[in-house]
Amino acid sequence: MFYVTMFFQYMSQYMKTRLEYRADLIVEMISDFLNQAVNLVFILVVFGHTQFLSGWSRDEIIFIYGFFLIPFALFSSFFNIWDFNERYIVKGEMDRILTRPIHSLFQVILERMELESLFGVVTGLVIVVYAGSSLDLAINWYDPFLFILFAIGGALAYAAIFIAIASIGFWSDAKTSIMPMMYNIGNYGRYPVDIYNKVIRFLLTWVLPFAFVGVYPAAYFLGKKEWYAFSFATPLIGIIFFTLSIFIWNRGIRKYRGAGN
Amino acid sequence: MNNAIEVTQLRKEFKSYSSRTGLRGAFRDLLTRNYKIVPAVNDINFTVKQGEMVAYIGENGAGKSTTIKMLTGILEPTSGKLRVNGMNPHREREKFTRTIGVVFGQRSQLWWDIAVQESFRLLKKVYKVSDQQYDEHMGHVIKTLDIGPLLDKPVRKLSLGQRMRCELAAALIHNPPLLFLDEPTIGLDVLVKLKIREFLKEINEKYNTTILLTTHDLGDIEALCNRVVMLDEGKIVYDGELDSLKNNWAEQKEIHFQFMNHVNLSELKSLPLTFSAEWEYDEKDQTYIAYLKEEDENISQLISVVVSQFKIKDVKIHETSIEEIVRNIYEKGMN
Amino acid sequence: MDKYVEMIRMRFLMMLAYRTDYYTGILIYSINIGAYYFLWNAIYGEKSSIEGLTSIQMTTYVAIAWMARAFYFNNIDREIAAEIKEGKVAIELIRPYNYLGMKTMQGLGEGIFRFFFFSIPGMILVALIFPIQLPYNPVSWGYFGISLLLSFVINTQINLLTGITAFFFYNNAGLIRAKRVIIDLFSGLILPISFYPFWAQDIMKYLPFQGISYVPSMIFTNGFSGSEIVYALLQQSVWVLILLIPIRLLWTAAKKQLIIQGG
Repeated sequence: MFYVTMFFQYMSQYMKTRLEYRADLIVEMISDFLNQAVNLVFILVVFGHTQFLSGWSRDEIIFIYGFFLIPFALFSSFFNIWDFNERYIVKGEMDRILTRPIHSLFQVILERMELESLFGVVTGLVIVVYAGSSLDLAINWYDPFLFILFAIGGALAYAAIFIAIASIGFWSDAKTSIMPMMYNIGNYGRYPVDIYNKVIRFLLTWVLPFAFVGVYPAAYFLGKKEWYAFSFATPLIGIIFFTLSIFIWNRGIRKYRGAGN
Repeated sequence: MNNAIEVTQLRKEFKSYSSRTGLRGAFRDLLTRNYKIVPAVNDINFTVKQGEMVAYIGENGAGKSTTIKMLTGILEPTSGKLRVNGMNPHREREKFTRTIGVVFGQRSQLWWDIAVQESFRLLKKVYKVSDQQYDEHMGHVIKTLDIGPLLDKPVRKLSLGQRMRCELAAALIHNPPLLFLDEPTIGLDVLVKLKIREFLKEINEKYNTTILLTTHDLGDIEALCNRVVMLDEGKIVYDGELDSLKNNWAEQKEIHFQFMNHVNLSELKSLPLTFSAEWEYDEKDQTYIAYLKEEDENISQLISVVVSQFKIKDVKIHETSIEEIVRNIYEKGMN
Repeated sequence: MDKYVEMIRMRFLMMLAYRTDYYTGILIYSINIGAYYFLWNAIYGEKSSIEGLTSIQMTTYVAIAWMARAFYFNNIDREIAAEIKEGKVAIELIRPYNYLGMKTMQGLGEGIFRFFFFSIPGMILVALIFPIQLPYNPVSWGYFGISLLLSFVINTQINLLTGITAFFFYNNAGLIRAKRVIIDLFSGLILPISFYPFWAQDIMKYLPFQGISYVPSMIFTNGFSGSEIVYALLQQSVWVLILLIPIRLLWTAAKKQLIIQGG
């Protein structure tokens, strides 16, 4: 309960700050939107030359992309900690975090949230509804709930990878570029995994579970029965990886060296 | 509970890496890296009673801030026992931090872009302070520190002195029984320094708040602390009263003179004094410096004799700084 | 001229200090190339060629497009914007050199560095992993070299233009980001221009962007025939000249602005 209150406290603080720089806010939303548009244009142009991508139709691929945008937007709104090492460890902001009576990761998340990224949920939903209706997908009464569950599971899996990588900073303060690399690998999850070779497929499923952010959960709504097992594993994978990453984080805190040493 | 801080055989080691040279060295670094273990804090012991005000001093890199960071729960000790407010700071961090206040002079606790009172409001929620408690306690703090007019300004628009007073108020929102201050007066002007010192004294008397502070300013210590703990190379080299430290090690005072007319050093050396003083001429600043023991009325005697014989442009009494005391101890050894 | 060579050298040394960034940079680009490689393989499926490009040519296209980007890409638009905001430009204008020329030379120094330490080793690495066909005709290499240099000039000119806008807008970070997205899409980096529908291709003909990535990549993959190459190089050169006009105009206006605002 305390953590929920704190969340809303920080959120209102965040809104006040952001609204002071309204122009920046709009510019950021537009450039996010442009990025999403570019990826969509790519899919549309490519399907001007082919009917199927390893058996997936154009609208199915668009549906997967639309779904992917939703957990990705949740992730970018709350777990956008790609500069954690630079900002909190090298510059020593972590010192301040650790003198306050709230879990350190939760504080970092509260301070780094970027709610304007949530706009991606809207874009994603529009794409999903458009692709879903042109595919004539049947909707069961429980599907919206599964949709939410899968989206959250995907966001947790995505967040887990970034939390685990941010935690590396506690052990070694050497500058690494693993974070930006992860953003690029994350893009692999936007397409059906059967276009990749076995090693990459294994990697995207069990090591860096990016496939659970896009193609696996989306496969359920597209009625691809052969993938159902993976679809339904999405929330579970999300929780397992997330718990694991928190564990790594908590271990890492003990190794924190402090600023200026 | 009587002791606010209990430290036994506390130790913190850091690995310090050195990289090899050249491309081949870079590849070898990938596999195994050269490192040596450096103890930043080396098996120290001390206790602080509730209500004490203690100065924690030493040169840069002596291990002061590493100790403070262990005491505040930021760092986990390598070994040793540590009880602060009856808790293990790092392991019980979230519960523990409710019982302490921290001010790092170099680093802001406040949110940069929003008004000071918004920061206070948020911290009030963070520390679960009730409205009644807040109004009663903070009303007084805000009045004493004279920050009422600053509350609706964003932090980035405050001067350093204004900001430090706000930082101090922010650290006291939950009225903690133990306060850590890391260089609280660094870079501040004299009036603000005085105000802060006065305020800390008052808090200590009113709530019996324990205060541990690190500082380079001897004035801070003289105004606030009876007890001084001095650290050098990770070890405690002195733990006791400030006066005896000063009497033993700050034996010399420097008095700087500038004269209207030209004066020969030999004239100064042959002045009639009841004690011995050494003279030196600093050509760069064109000042004459007298070194003497700070005893009885030495200083007033010297000044009155000099004034009676020469026309003076400027006189400065140079206070021995902490660094000089530390250097003295370091050079001559502790006995 | 000496001072510009010195600029290139300074940048070069500066980049050398950050060489570890390049090892990871190569990996990041390889990951991107890998993603597109698998994607294009799936798109080709049973087809032997699309829009005149075979699957191997397509892989080569993707690889060279990304590795060439390492050469022409630079952040001088951000640097100019930052220097304007910090008021440094006023000081730079007093110095005895052309500010924009100096920025271009810095970009070139950075580009040459990345060409040797990023593009070439990256291309070798990628060629080992993926099936890639390098041009065997030395003349193609020559044409490619000229085209790449022109692509650098066009990209830098566009960067100068976006950078100078910081004189007129308080915050042009959004514009810079938007420009980057537009270049990725319309330059042919993620899709060869010939894959777009005809109406889109018609529009892009009147834009300078395909001179940045599409032209050099097509020359490298032997996607252009002899006369097409000459025409494309000519087109690139014309754009280099055309772009000088808005730069001149904007820069003159900017200097006026500077005098009014006092930097």
